[in-house]
Amino acid sequence: MELEKVKEKVKKAVAEVLKMDAAEIDDDANFIFDLGADSMQSMLLIAAFEDEFDIEMEVEKAQEVQSISGAVEFISGYL
Amino acid sequence: MSYRKITNNEIAALQKQGCFSVNWESIFVKDGFLVDTIFNTQFAGEIKLGSFGGEVELEKGISKPAGIRNSYIENCEIGDNVYIANVNSLVNYNVADNVAIENVGTIVVNGETTFGNGYEIEVLNEGGGRDLPIFDKLSAQVAYLMVVYRHDKLFVDKLSELINSYVESKKSTKGTIGKNARILNTISLRNVAVGDYGVVTGASNLENGTIGSCKEAPTKIGEDVIAKDFIILSGSKVDSGAIITSSFIGQGVKIGKQYSTENCAFFANCEGFHGEACSVLAGPYTVTHHKSTLLIAGMFSFFNAGSGTNQSNHMYKLGPLHQGTVERGSKTGSFSYLLWPCKVGAYSVVMDKHGSNFDTSELPFSYITVEKGRSVITPAMNLFTVGTTRDVVKWPKRDRREDPEKLDLISFDFMNPFIVGKIFDGINLLNDLHAKASKKQDYINHKGISINRLMLRTSRRYYETAINVHIGKLIVNRLKQLSELSSLKEIQNILAPKEKSAGDKWVDILGLVSPGSSIKSLLDTIKTGETNSVAGIQSELNAIHESYETDAYSWGAAQIQKYLEIDVANISKDELVKIITNWKTNSLKMNTMILKDSEKEFDQNSKLGFGNDGDESVLEADFEAIRGTHESNSFVVGLKNESAEIESVFENLINQLGEIAD
Repeated sequence: MELEKVKEKVKKAVAEVLKMDAAEIDDDANFIFDLGADSMQSMLLIAAFEDEFDIEMEVEKAQEVQSISGAVEFISGYL
Repeated sequence: MSYRKITNNEIAALQKQGCFSVNWESIFVKDGFLVDTIFNTQFAGEIKLGSFGGEVELEKGISKPAGIRNSYIENCEIGDNVYIANVNSLVNYNVADNVAIENVGTIVVNGETTFGNGYEIEVLNEGGGRDLPIFDKLSAQVAYLMVVYRHDKLFVDKLSELINSYVESKKSTKGTIGKNARILNTISLRNVAVGDYGVVTGASNLENGTIGSCKEAPTKIGEDVIAKDFIILSGSKVDSGAIITSSFIGQGVKIGKQYSTENCAFFANCEGFHGEACSVLAGPYTVTHHKSTLLIAGMFSFFNAGSGTNQSNHMYKLGPLHQGTVERGSKTGSFSYLLWPCKVGAYSVVMDKHGSNFDTSELPFSYITVEKGRSVITPAMNLFTVGTTRDVVKWPKRDRREDPEKLDLISFDFMNPFIVGKIFDGINLLNDLHAKASKKQDYINHKGISINRLMLRTSRRYYETAINVHIGKLIVNRLKQLSELSSLKEIQNILAPKEKSAGDKWVDILGLVSPGSSIKSLLDTIKTGETNSVAGIQSELNAIHESYETDAYSWGAAQIQKYLEIDVANISKDELVKIITNWKTNSLKMNTMILKDSEKEFDQNSKLGFGNDGDESVLEADFEAIRGTHESNSFVVGLKNESAEIESVFENLINQLGEIAD
C-alpha cells in the first residue's frame, strides 16, 4: 500500500477515535499533546489501526508510536 | 483467687480516709491489701479488692500510684495494682490487674447483656433480609456466608443457631475490663466489655459493645467517639469523632476523622475517614478517605473509594431494595456514581457517573467510563497499569494485624484461580461478541454496558497475554523447586498435581479465594451438624485457606490441559520450551507496557504546576526534587530488575532443558 494511502487511513482511524475531522489533522500531529488523546484513547487508536488495516500489531511497540507520521511508518512495516 | 472479709481496723481506716459503704460485710479483700491506697470512695453491693502496691502507667511518661480515689464502686471485683480515680459510677464490672480508669463518668452494666454480641445489623440491603449477627469472633468469611447464602435456608438457620450458641456464652450481668486496659477522660461506657490492653481515651459514649484487644494488638478508642451496638476487634483504632452505630469493626481497622458508619461491617485493614458508610459489607482493605464519599448497600474488598464516590439504591417504590457488588481490587474515581443494583468486575476502575445498571463481572481489569451518557467498558485495560501492580504489592505489606489469632483469611495471590477464571470468562465472552459483531457497529452492548467494537479483539489479546504469563509462572515456579533439571521424568513428576482439581468454579469469599466445591462441602457439614460450632467453622475455613497452594496448582494444571491441551504430568520437552518461551515473551511484554504506563507519571502533563516562578529548567528541577526521575523511581527499578530476572531464569531453564534427553 502506498504511504499516502496509509496516511489517509491512519488519519481516518484517528479522526474516528478522537471524534474530529480528518482534514484538521497534521501529518506530524502528536496523539497526546496535539490531538489530546488520553491513555484509553491511545489504546483505542491501536485497536482502530488494527481494525482499519486488518493487522495485529505488537502492542508494547505500538505504544511507542506517538504521532501520525510515526504510525504511518510503523504500520507500513506490517503491510 | 482467695479473698477474706475486710477487718474492722481496715474499715475504720477507710472511713477515716473518707470512704463509705452501706454494708461493709460484703467487702472482701485479698491478702496484701493496702488500706492506705483508697480514699473518698463509696462502695455498694459485693466488692472484691486486690492488692494495690505499685504504680500504673496511664500513658508514656505518666504513672500514678495504684489505688482508688474519689469514686463510686458497686458490685465489682478489682484486680491487683489497679488505679481508679474520679469515676462517678463503676458498676457490675470485673476489673483485671494493672488497669487504669481515670476521669470517667459512668462504667455500668445494666442487667444481663451480651456486650454487642448477637446484635443484628442490616448489611448489603438496607431493607433487611441479609441481617448479620455480629460477634467478637466474626470473620469476613463467616459474614459473607451468612449474608450471601440466603437462598440456602437450612444453612442459614444452622449457622444462626451456632452463632446464637456462641452469643449465649457471652451473656452476663457483669462486664470485664481486661488487664492493662486504660479508660481515661471518657463520659460513659454502658454494657461495654474492654479487652486486655484496650485503650479508651476521651471517648464520648460507648454503649452495648465489645472492644476486643490483646497485648500484641491493643485496640484504641479515641476522642469524641460515639459507639452504640458494636464490636471492635484487636489492633483497630477508632478516634477523632467517629460515630459507630450498629457496626462491626474487624482487626487492624482504622476509623476516624468524623467518619460515620451505620449497619456496616468492616473487616481486616479497612480504613474509613471523613465520609459515611451505610449497610456496607466491607471486606479486607476497603479504604475510603475523603469527605462526601458515601458507601451504601454494597459489598467491597481491596477497594479504594475516590473522593465524592457515591452509589444510590433509592430508585425504589417498595423500600430500599437494591444492592451492589464491587469485586476485589477495584477502585472508583473522584465523584463517580454507581446506580445500584450493579456488579463491578475485579480490578476495575470506575470513572464518571453511571445512570444505568450493569454487570461487568466477566470482564476483570476494565476501565468503566461514560461516553455521551452511556456506560462504556474497556476490558483488560487495567492489566497494564502501574496502579494495579502497585496495589497488589502493597496490600500484604500493609497487613496491620498483630493479633496471633487472625480471624479474616486473606488470599493475596494476584493471579489466583478466581481472577484467572474471570479472565478465561472474558476471553470467551469477547470471542463470542466479536463473532457476532458487525463492522458497522461502533458499540456492542452486554449486560447493561457498551464495549467499543474496536476493543473486542485487542482486549482479548491482552487477556491472553495475562494467561500466558500466569501459565508460565505456574510451571516456572514449580521447576524452581528442582535444584537442576536432570531428566524429563523428574520434571513431569514435579509438575504432576498432587491432588485432583477441585472443579472449575472458584469463589472469592470476601478475601478468601477458594474452590467453590470446598465452600459447598463446608456448608454441607454445617447443615448436617458435623461442624457444630463457630470455632469449628473457622477451623474448616483455615484448612481451606491452608490448602490454597495445592488446590490452586491443581486447578492451574487442569486449565493448562483445557487451554493448551497439555497434560503437565506427561509434558514433552517441546511443550515445556513453548510454555517457558511464551512466559518470557509475554511477561516482558506486560512489564514493558506497565513501564510505559509509568512514564506518564513523568511526562510533560504531570509536570504542570511545577516550577511556579521559574523557567523550563526550574520546572524540571522542581519536579525532580519532588517526584524524582523515572529512571530512579523504586517501582520502575523494581520492574526493570524483574524483567532482567525473567530473562535470566528463561536462559537458565532453556539451557538446562537443552541438556536433557527428550
